[in-house]
Amino acid sequence: MSLLEVRNLKKHFPIKSGVLKRTTGHVYAVDDISFHVDQGETLGLVGESGCGKSTAGRSVLRLIAPTAGEVTFEGTDVMRASRSELQRLRRDMQIIFQDPYASLNPRKRVKHIIGEPLDIHGIGTDDERRRRVFELLETVGLSAEHAERYPHEFSGGQRQRIGIARALALKPKLIVCDEPVSALDVSIRAQVINLLEDLQNELDLTYVFIAHDLSVVKHISDRVAVMYLGKIVEIAGSDVLYDYPQHPYTEALLSAVPIPDPQTERARRRIILEGDVPSPANPPKGCVFHPRCPRAQEICTTAMPRLTTAGSHAGGEHEVACYFPARFDSGSRVVHKEPFLEARPAGAGAAPEGGAASAPVASE
Amino acid sequence: MAERLLEVADLSTHFFTHAGVVKAVNGVSFTLDRQETLGIVGESGSGKTVAALSVMRLIPDPPGKIVEGSITLRGRDLRALDEDEMRQVRGNDIAMIFQDPMTSLNPVYKIGDQIAEAVMLHQDKGKDEAWRMAAELLERVGIPDAKNRVKQYPFEFSGGMRQRAMIAMAISCNPDILIADEPTTALDVTIQAQIIEVVQEMQEQYHSGVILITHDLGVVAELADKVMVMYGGRTVEYGSIDQVFYDPHHPYTWGLLGSLPRLDVSEKTRLTPIKGQPPDLILLPAGCPFSGRCVYERPECRDTWPAHELIAEGHGVNCWIPRAEREEIRAELPHFKVEVA
Repeated sequence: MSLLEVRNLKKHFPIKSGVLKRTTGHVYAVDDISFHVDQGETLGLVGESGCGKSTAGRSVLRLIAPTAGEVTFEGTDVMRASRSELQRLRRDMQIIFQDPYASLNPRKRVKHIIGEPLDIHGIGTDDERRRRVFELLETVGLSAEHAERYPHEFSGGQRQRIGIARALALKPKLIVCDEPVSALDVSIRAQVINLLEDLQNELDLTYVFIAHDLSVVKHISDRVAVMYLGKIVEIAGSDVLYDYPQHPYTEALLSAVPIPDPQTERARRRIILEGDVPSPANPPKGCVFHPRCPRAQEICTTAMPRLTTAGSHAGGEHEVACYFPARFDSGSRVVHKEPFLEARPAGAGAAPEGGAASAPVASE
Repeated sequence: MAERLLEVADLSTHFFTHAGVVKAVNGVSFTLDRQETLGIVGESGSGKTVAALSVMRLIPDPPGKIVEGSITLRGRDLRALDEDEMRQVRGNDIAMIFQDPMTSLNPVYKIGDQIAEAVMLHQDKGKDEAWRMAAELLERVGIPDAKNRVKQYPFEFSGGMRQRAMIAMAISCNPDILIADEPTTALDVTIQAQIIEVVQEMQEQYHSGVILITHDLGVVAELADKVMVMYGGRTVEYGSIDQVFYDPHHPYTWGLLGSLPRLDVSEKTRLTPIKGQPPDLILLPAGCPFSGRCVYERPECRDTWPAHELIAEGHGVNCWIPRAEREEIRAELPHFKVEVA
């Protein structure tokens, strides 16, 4: 059994307007995503701004209440947990935020910031808590003398270490890392990435790693889920995903990332997508990617394709939500783009998932 | 054509603050030719933006001041110009696009007004003509339905479209030099790819020189011809992109390259970060600003700035470690496959 199971998770934010604040529409931030995370692994959630990756991460922890779906952590139903059950669960599920300037209370000393989770959960005596704070500071590469200082006395990288120490205070099993290195300079970013990797090995942590930087996500993740406009469009082992991307969005995304190697850059062909990401308040009918998709055809405008296993390369699961996934021969070259649902498993039915699945939560 | 488009020599720009003097740019030199792209790479506080703003003479004074050096545009000394003359240079000869297209566009004016203003300031054009040009420029940078879009306000544009509008404004007077300060940092990768393409097209069309300021070595590898690596206000190394990426000589350049996770490499190698924290710009050592974080530091590093050493044509470094020793150290580094002979 996986440590974390997420099924058909949805988060639709109501749009309210007018004096009466009536709901006039919804932002489909996360729209029916399913994934699982195994003990000790890192699942990367990657996508551009507004794709719903952060909302997904927070919904999983119930920091925001999801609209629908199931989240199971170690067999416990997170969605239906009572207040006290949820508090118990939060010991095991923690989060690290993107902006180390906004996520630490500027008026509290470091020892209080890191010790707060211990206070809230009533763990240990004062003396034990103090010792635990010192221990945590050492764990993240700071020292006990930093405990009395305030956040403004630290650089961005050091603040992020404090945020990590706070997340570790309760000895969690799962940490949702929400863009933890995006605000940091290159040289500091590498320090924090290494720290996260070391902590994972030492403490047997499981990460959901949310980021928009594909190079970072690939480096740290075992498996990667690519999100676009509230949907997971492809999910696979990180090497498989990068070597054999099947979804046209994944391909475009990968080809758009500049690689710090002039020779490689000169040899690359870039797929440049037309236009911008549509508004999640008014997602396109059919496949959400079809208006920008170079392979889109008639069928793509009818319904969102289901995420299905579509051929596996080098083993492991590889799922893609596309009517025309790319195929690979023995080499890594795209050979042909099969015109239809060839890779759908029989059980999933030949027909694409219709509007029925999303009907209960549709706004109109 | 033998004339240099831009030559900056020994530029120093300091900020005189209550806390002390910040030597944001400290003895920096570079040149730029037509159709050439110079990448200036560095982390926050390295002085890369201040160097570019100095060329535009846009340093807020006080507290900032260009204290030394020369800036020569096609043989003309920009430091000697008065403010009126300089205003003619900005826009006409040198234009700049900024990182955040939301804060650099005025939210209460229509996009067309803002582009037309730039046109009317520098060219003898009436309002109607300027508006017509604004629409044309928007179309040229790839904004669909430009005729109607030109009448919209910045909030009606997406981030990528705003950056395109900024580029349209920058190229409106056909400048010789385009300075792009982190033009893609605020944008998503697929939009970043679009903007990079627009910049390349504009450069081909107008034969301008481009100064690209960025922290992203990937963008440099893609767009630039040559690169200058800055740290703590100093240029620590410069050269063609091949020289700097494949034959790097400064420990900071090694550090930067070793810190990057690579999308195109499948085996998982551990990153090699640079130790320590970014420097405090007020307390920079008199010598190499990277001393203190450099693993190979020697006694002389902290107090004296090393002499410039020419590695090859167009490739230079400032470092105390003797060249032979540097090459030995580098050969041991895990993340280098040095390819250039």
